[in-house]
Amino acid sequence: MSLPLYGFMEGDTMGLLIQADEQESVRSLAGKLRDAASLRVDGSYDMDVVYQGIVLDPDSTLAQADFRPLQRFDLRRNHGLSESR
Amino acid sequence: MLNREDWLPLARKLDWEFSYTTEQEVYPEVISGHPWLPHSNWQNWEEAFKTSYREYVQNQHEKDMAVYAVRDAVGRLENVQSLATPWINGLKIHAAALPLAEFTGTIGNLRGARFGRDSAWRAMACFGALDEFRHTQIPLLLMHELVRWNPQFDWAHKFYHTNNWFAIAARHLFDELTLGQNAIEFHIATNVILETGFTNLQFVGLASLAHEAGDYLFEKMVTSIQTDEARHAQIGHSVLAMVMKHDPEYAQYLVDKWFWRNWHMFSILTGVSMDYLTAADQRSGSFKEFMDEWIVDQFFRTLDEFGLKKPWYWDIFLDELEVYHHMIYASAYTYRSTLWFDFVMPSPNDREWLRQKYPKYWDDMEAVWASIGERWKSAEPGPNKEGSTLGTALPAFCELCQLPLCAGTPRNNAANVLSHEGRDYIFCSLPCRWIFLREPERYADHKGLVKRILAEEAPGDFAVLLKDYFQLTPETSGKDVYAGDYDWLSKGPLDATTRRGF
Repeated sequence: MSLPLYGFMEGDTMGLLIQADEQESVRSLAGKLRDAASLRVDGSYDMDVVYQGIVLDPDSTLAQADFRPLQRFDLRRNHGLSESR
Repeated sequence: MLNREDWLPLARKLDWEFSYTTEQEVYPEVISGHPWLPHSNWQNWEEAFKTSYREYVQNQHEKDMAVYAVRDAVGRLENVQSLATPWINGLKIHAAALPLAEFTGTIGNLRGARFGRDSAWRAMACFGALDEFRHTQIPLLLMHELVRWNPQFDWAHKFYHTNNWFAIAARHLFDELTLGQNAIEFHIATNVILETGFTNLQFVGLASLAHEAGDYLFEKMVTSIQTDEARHAQIGHSVLAMVMKHDPEYAQYLVDKWFWRNWHMFSILTGVSMDYLTAADQRSGSFKEFMDEWIVDQFFRTLDEFGLKKPWYWDIFLDELEVYHHMIYASAYTYRSTLWFDFVMPSPNDREWLRQKYPKYWDDMEAVWASIGERWKSAEPGPNKEGSTLGTALPAFCELCQLPLCAGTPRNNAANVLSHEGRDYIFCSLPCRWIFLREPERYADHKGLVKRILAEEAPGDFAVLLKDYFQLTPETSGKDVYAGDYDWLSKGPLDATTRRGF
């Protein structure tokens, strides 16, 4: 099921509409935002996906992570804790 | 014939008692505004500048003749063509945003001319309506000549008739501020906040930069307009004094709400023009310095004059003053094809100047421009070069101000989601969220661009969106004025001194 979300990458100047699917992985969602923001932000850092204040497991699906449409998620620099590209 | 001193009091005070209807029916609160008070409360209403129709026509005629004289002397096409290209694009922003917004001011003033609560107020609002009509006609007249040379100037009339994202935001502001507003809120929001405050940025600050840029026609146009604004803006001060006396909490709300709404729009219109589209050696100060001098000081005087408090969001505003229009400009630069004017990338020298003027968050902005510069450097020459430096994902927009979600800082965007009566809304900032929550019945049903697309009321395909919904063509859509051909791009980031166009 289609899942429009508002994505914010740390270091970027704006929020973006990211069209996701509830069966795709958190890692895939992160890749979409990273690509969309790459024009303005150096995407070579390790990043965490943060949703509702929680750092998500990159291998979980958006449905498992309980994403709802038109909510905010963030891609924040990882300081050595979890996901790497 | 009566002399002026005898005629004026007779003509401007023409109230009478109603015999076959009631005052509430003639001046209903929904359109006259809150607080509703019997006319006995308003009968001593005084305007600071008193004028008769005869004097008004004479003065306006002389001002129009002065504008035409400047146009004939320095307003020819070759004069405009000789200006710096970035400045010409700042002119395109104002050419689009100004004229029909002024026309909505005609409508707002006419509402005051009918539903204002004292005859002197109504008489002044009549002159205000004539003023705003003049402010519509002058820029349309002056820009018309330029359309043959550059079709982007056609947006002087076209802009508000499109669904371009910036037009949606501007309409959202002016529909509420002027077109659909009751007389009391219109005069406070427009006269006190917009015209006593923010248009000073245009009519004084930007006029001085126009002089430095050699754009004497723009300078003359806006200073001529400002002389009208200074007169009719006085209406709002007398209205605000009455509202403050009878409902100070509401007066505070109107001032807080409209300062914020005007701030976001003018930080783009004026901030971008001053800090990015004016050549560095022609800038007499930064946008922030103009804001401090012409808005913040003036606003504090207004607060003091009426016994109002600083808005609750003042610290947020001061932080936005450091970075908001920079985030907007960098974002819009990477989506320039969605707009009707061209952009310039700030050179290393420009960025150093901006760092000195805006030190708090400039490191983060520098990283963004460095990244954009890297994209230009790696772009393959050819017809797709420009396209490879443009964003492709749809930007998200605030559901109050309708502007991109560019508030906060690059490290910590301030956007926030609100669930309200079963629907989710996103706002760029806490003040936009607060304004929504004060009057959700006014705002809740308005669909922003994202929700129009999701509801299939606007095209989801980006190219179709630009062409059919934003009404842009390959000729009119925004580009980099130098197509990325900056000498300094091939050099080190901060030791380069070669600049194009500055």
